Amino acid sequence: MKKSRKLMALAALAGSVALWFSLSESTRRYIVHLGKQVPYLPYRYFI
Amino acid sequence: MVDYDVVVIGAGLGGVTSGAILAKNGFKTLILEQAEVVGGCCSTFDYQGYKFDTGASIVMITQPLEEAFRRMGKEVRDYVELVPCEPIYSVHAYDGTKFTIPTDIDDATEVISRIAPEDVEGWKRYTRIGLDMVGQLEQMMTTPMNTLSETARLELSHPGMMKYFPYFLRSHQGVTVQFLKNPVIQSTVAFQSYYAGAPPELGLGTLGFIALCEHLGIYYPRGGMIAIPEGLRRAGEEFGLEVRFNQKVEKILLEGNMARGVLLEDGTEILSRIVVANVNAKVTYLKMIGPDNLPRWAVKAIDSYEVAMPCPMIYLGLDTSPPLDAHHTIKTGDLEQSNRVWNDYYKKGIRPPMGGWLISWPTESDPSLAPEGHHVVNFVWGGPAPYGLLGDNWDRLKPAFTEEALKVFESEVMPDLHDHLKVVEVSTPLDFERRLLTPQGAIYGLFLDFFSSAMFRPHPRSRVVKNLYLAGASVGLGGGVPTTIASGVITSDYVLKDLG
Repeated sequence: MKKSRKLMALAALAGSVALWFSLSESTRRYIVHLGKQVPYLPYRYFI
Repeated sequence: MVDYDVVVIGAGLGGVTSGAILAKNGFKTLILEQAEVVGGCCSTFDYQGYKFDTGASIVMITQPLEEAFRRMGKEVRDYVELVPCEPIYSVHAYDGTKFTIPTDIDDATEVISRIAPEDVEGWKRYTRIGLDMVGQLEQMMTTPMNTLSETARLELSHPGMMKYFPYFLRSHQGVTVQFLKNPVIQSTVAFQSYYAGAPPELGLGTLGFIALCEHLGIYYPRGGMIAIPEGLRRAGEEFGLEVRFNQKVEKILLEGNMARGVLLEDGTEILSRIVVANVNAKVTYLKMIGPDNLPRWAVKAIDSYEVAMPCPMIYLGLDTSPPLDAHHTIKTGDLEQSNRVWNDYYKKGIRPPMGGWLISWPTESDPSLAPEGHHVVNFVWGGPAPYGLLGDNWDRLKPAFTEEALKVFESEVMPDLHDHLKVVEVSTPLDFERRLLTPQGAIYGLFLDFFSSAMFRPHPRSRVVKNLYLAGASVGLGGGVPTTIASGVITSDYVLKDLG
């Protein structure tokens, strides 16, 4: 059970990495650009 | 004891709109403007007999303007004459292709079919989806969407908009390339992301449809762009609105966490029940209120916003008609180049060596802006350009920049420019910052993307300082003529709800 969970987690990680590198550079920059703002969203919502 | 019910800081579009509507509703309202005229970024100035528009060059999506006048029981046409511009723009593409886009969508499709037959189907899908979405957005512009509940209410009242939500999450470029494959057509549509001060790959996805808004009609107000805020001011003055010029507000006066008026540069205090700040939100919170009077999280929030890209503007007075065929002419770069302007140059403080440009030709729509037979042209070149120049500054660079810009205009637009050039004036990002109190000279205010728009943009009814309201490009849907007028309408609605 533990082993299969580990395998699934590894597969998900590998899938995410593959998906990330399949994106165009522009899309990756867009995601990073939005991602950097995420920590500020709760503050921004209440300003 | 207060001097006024409402003090509005700044007579830009958001300020005059909210001030005029509040005056109509019986509030004793005073607008304080640091300049000698109304309008802020949407203004017009006289330079040696030629009238130049400061920044904004046309108005599209007239619904918010109509709504603002409707709230005063008035009609736009009685105050502002809007001249339709046809064709809407002319394109000098990076590969040498030149074409002109007419307003009529079928005629525009015909143009696309000649340049990029492979894109006709995509263009038709783009226009079908885009025009439906833009039509619905137009109706929603003066409705607030600054909280989760407001946004949910709005979505429920416009269920047709739900299916377009994914476009809000995507980038301007993502939307463009989904429909259009030809690089020249892509660059023409993507160019418009700069109208919001952002590169195509980072701009808000729905702005990918901004090009279509122009097909609903673009207009130039007779008398220059200042005619719009002037019209709003005149309408407001009929209800007792007072506007004072050359009045620079230094501080917003506080009592605890409550705004109670303003302090002018000359030391005068004006007390009011509420304050509406129509200046950049960073200036409002960090300078006029001050970080010491704000919770740390609020300072963090305001600090976290990037400002939109500024761009220098060159104003030319000519003694002949320029060789142009539309109110707007644009020179585009391809998508990669457009993004490199941001990634490789702007972010590093370097002026991009390559460049698209934008020309507005106001005298094509209103010859009265220049002496008879003469013309005025606004030339946006070398921009969007960084405010903080690596190893240089705009005051020092200005003469060389002007010379360089004139050479480009001469070689790419008007070979006999020097025989006809009568006056030249330039506004650098530093000049814009000084004149308009906008940080870094960013005339579109704060950067506009999904996480810095609507409910994630500063709230029009401040949640940190009581009795403080905000209007203009820093709130709601960002910079632009219709959006800032819409912000003024929304802000006045909040005030009326709270005090009415």
